[in-house]
Amino acid sequence: MDPLILSRIQFGANISFHILFPAITIALGWVLLFFKLRYNATGDSAWMRAYFTWVKVFALSFAMGVVTGVTMSFQFGTNWPGYMQKVGNIAGPLLAYEILTAFFLEAAFLGIMLFGFRRVSNRIHTLATVLVAGGTTVSAFWIIALNSWMQTPAGFEMRDGVAHAVNWWAVIFNPSMPYRLVHMLLASGLTVSFLIAGLSALRYLVGDRSESMWKALRTGVFTAAILIPIQIFAGDQHGLNTLAHQPQKIAAMEANWNTGPNVPLVLFALPDEAAKENRFEITIPDGASLVLRHSASGVVPGLNDYPGNHPPVFPVFWGFRVMVGTGILMLIVSWSAAYFLKRRHSLPKPLALLMVPMTISGWVATLAGWYTTETGRQPWLVTGVLKTAEAVGPVAGSHVALTLAVYLILYVLLLIAYLGVLVHLALKAAKDGDASPLPGAMNAALSQQAAGE
Amino acid sequence: MTFDWPTALPLIFAGLMGLAILIYVILDGFDLGIGILFAAAEDSEQDTMIAAIGPFWDANETWLVLAVGLLLVAFPMAHGTILTALYIPVFLLLVGLILRGVAFDFRAKVPAGKKQRWNRIFFIGSATASLAQGYMLGVYVLGLDVGFGGMAFGALVALCLSAAYAAMGSAWLIYKTEGDLQVKAVRWLRTTLVLTALGMVAVSLATPYASPRIFDKWFLWPEILYLSPLPIVSALLFLWLWRQTFHLPRPDDSHALTPFLTLATIFALGFAGLAWSFYPFVVPDRLTIWQAASAPESLAFILVGTVVVLPIIIFYSFYAYRVFGGKATDLTYD
Repeated sequence: MDPLILSRIQFGANISFHILFPAITIALGWVLLFFKLRYNATGDSAWMRAYFTWVKVFALSFAMGVVTGVTMSFQFGTNWPGYMQKVGNIAGPLLAYEILTAFFLEAAFLGIMLFGFRRVSNRIHTLATVLVAGGTTVSAFWIIALNSWMQTPAGFEMRDGVAHAVNWWAVIFNPSMPYRLVHMLLASGLTVSFLIAGLSALRYLVGDRSESMWKALRTGVFTAAILIPIQIFAGDQHGLNTLAHQPQKIAAMEANWNTGPNVPLVLFALPDEAAKENRFEITIPDGASLVLRHSASGVVPGLNDYPGNHPPVFPVFWGFRVMVGTGILMLIVSWSAAYFLKRRHSLPKPLALLMVPMTISGWVATLAGWYTTETGRQPWLVTGVLKTAEAVGPVAGSHVALTLAVYLILYVLLLIAYLGVLVHLALKAAKDGDASPLPGAMNAALSQQAAGE
Repeated sequence: MTFDWPTALPLIFAGLMGLAILIYVILDGFDLGIGILFAAAEDSEQDTMIAAIGPFWDANETWLVLAVGLLLVAFPMAHGTILTALYIPVFLLLVGLILRGVAFDFRAKVPAGKKQRWNRIFFIGSATASLAQGYMLGVYVLGLDVGFGGMAFGALVALCLSAAYAAMGSAWLIYKTEGDLQVKAVRWLRTTLVLTALGMVAVSLATPYASPRIFDKWFLWPEILYLSPLPIVSALLFLWLWRQTFHLPRPDDSHALTPFLTLATIFALGFAGLAWSFYPFVVPDRLTIWQAASAPESLAFILVGTVVVLPIIIFYSFYAYRVFGGKATDLTYD
């Protein structure tokens, strides 16, 4: 089989599986800090119960993120040696800074955050939580900088066919970087909000009415309700940025074939690349021109301007629609839940039932968004600099097929185990309710004993 | 000789990468080793063994990411060459690391009935990762020879490195535990030490015989004189540690950390020997560190950050080890 397509699927599978967990840990670290600070301020032990339930999810997600991240650092060499040979001078330092400024920070203080409450002062423990949350965010900063540079490269020159940095500031803060970073951080915030809201709704449905459930539920729902309109605005701005720098990607996202004014917004279609047209189209007249140019006569780029040099239309078009559709669903669900919690101090059962599958809505939207933007970059690996086909390594297709098959089986099993543990933890927390014994943190006698070790 | 950055930078980064690999082998060595020893431990002991490494393993593994990261960023040509040649063992290493990394957490969070399954996965993952690393070391010292001889030698080194990690794990348990488990750990150390020594001898002999260039670096006069302390001190340390295993643990638990430090020193000496053999090559007899290096301006940009951040990393790593110093107690989220 063709090593190129297999390597692409393998890398796509690895990075898709990987991103599920940073998408949780980036924001969950800050939510844990919020729980902890609320406890510090109020002394209400329900906050600490919420903390202890969710710190377990954090630990598990973090471990999943670490081990799948290690895989990523090897894959550049095993499958894409051409990538590092051509743009290693740019990609290398950005990855190195991620390791140096983020990975070690997270890893060293995670131990203190998870197991250190009795061994360090409360202040140091809070500081460790801040450093872990900060580390995950710094990590996102560097990796988004690199990813954005691949989309919209800047601050470099080519010498003897190899990219050399001339301005690191321009490399890091390349044109799409600020938009992508904000979009991703908000995506992480929404993923965690719906995760917490969804699992708390599950606890609610099985009859848990404990204070820690209410606190987690409110935190999840209200955070989601606040973040989703901001995300919709940020996403729109990101789209306009893409229009300016990667028009062929916008053309594929909108499945628009001919450049021109008064372009309709395609709600549903089956894009046909061979015939260069959409089948079974449902459209809103002038919609795309209005969204992208804020004027009915605004000119929207078309795919026919980029023969042989535009991304595959079908996955980009549909990836974008799945993301936006999930976002709209998020808006409806979080605002209705916020309304009921605020005005009625209760949650209608049908809404709670809807919120349970929405637990993973953040994952769906995040993955769909990444597929849109990464597939939308094709056929380039680094826009205008390196084609994906030029970077693939000299590994036999059979080798890649074998490893790909094992990775896929492993990931499916791990995902099942992970989701199983989430449900298990939620049901256990529901069963214990406010009666759950709090760990040694609250227990003076235990602290004394620990101090005497 | 004048000092110029394009010559010095690849050298500095080779040194940093070597340091990262050495720290990784010592630190992740003991927690991989404890995973291997899981197979020989009772159920009741396994929780204590996990508690002895729980707060550390994640940071330990980060040194591997740093080492591979440095290879990737400082020597991109070598990264591609080495990793495509070792495609399957690298894959096994990664699967092993994934399995053991998640087993750490799953075993503590799944319903009680499923814990045993994750204990087994923890052992399998740790053993696979250790074997894969040993195999890669063996193939690498023979100059990335993946013929039958290379594979056979790789298999031997795989076993010996796993034994060496198990020895590190035993030494760490002697430091972190007490009672029956500590006594058991001393016995494990005695057994695994033999295979560790065998592995070091095998690598030390195979390396010069696989490459005339390396042979000349060791066995010509006067190099042989200057280098002789390396094997002699290693051998003496082995013998001394072997004798110690008949006296440990002491009634007052003194010298509990000594086996670990001794083994770490032996690892460092062995590593220094390997570094001497392969310098200046990063891919044996094919690519030197200067041929494989990134552009100087990229290396300089990383170096600035490294010089600032690495001391901080080492400082807070020590701090984390100090916070969790003393004997391992039950690990709870608090």
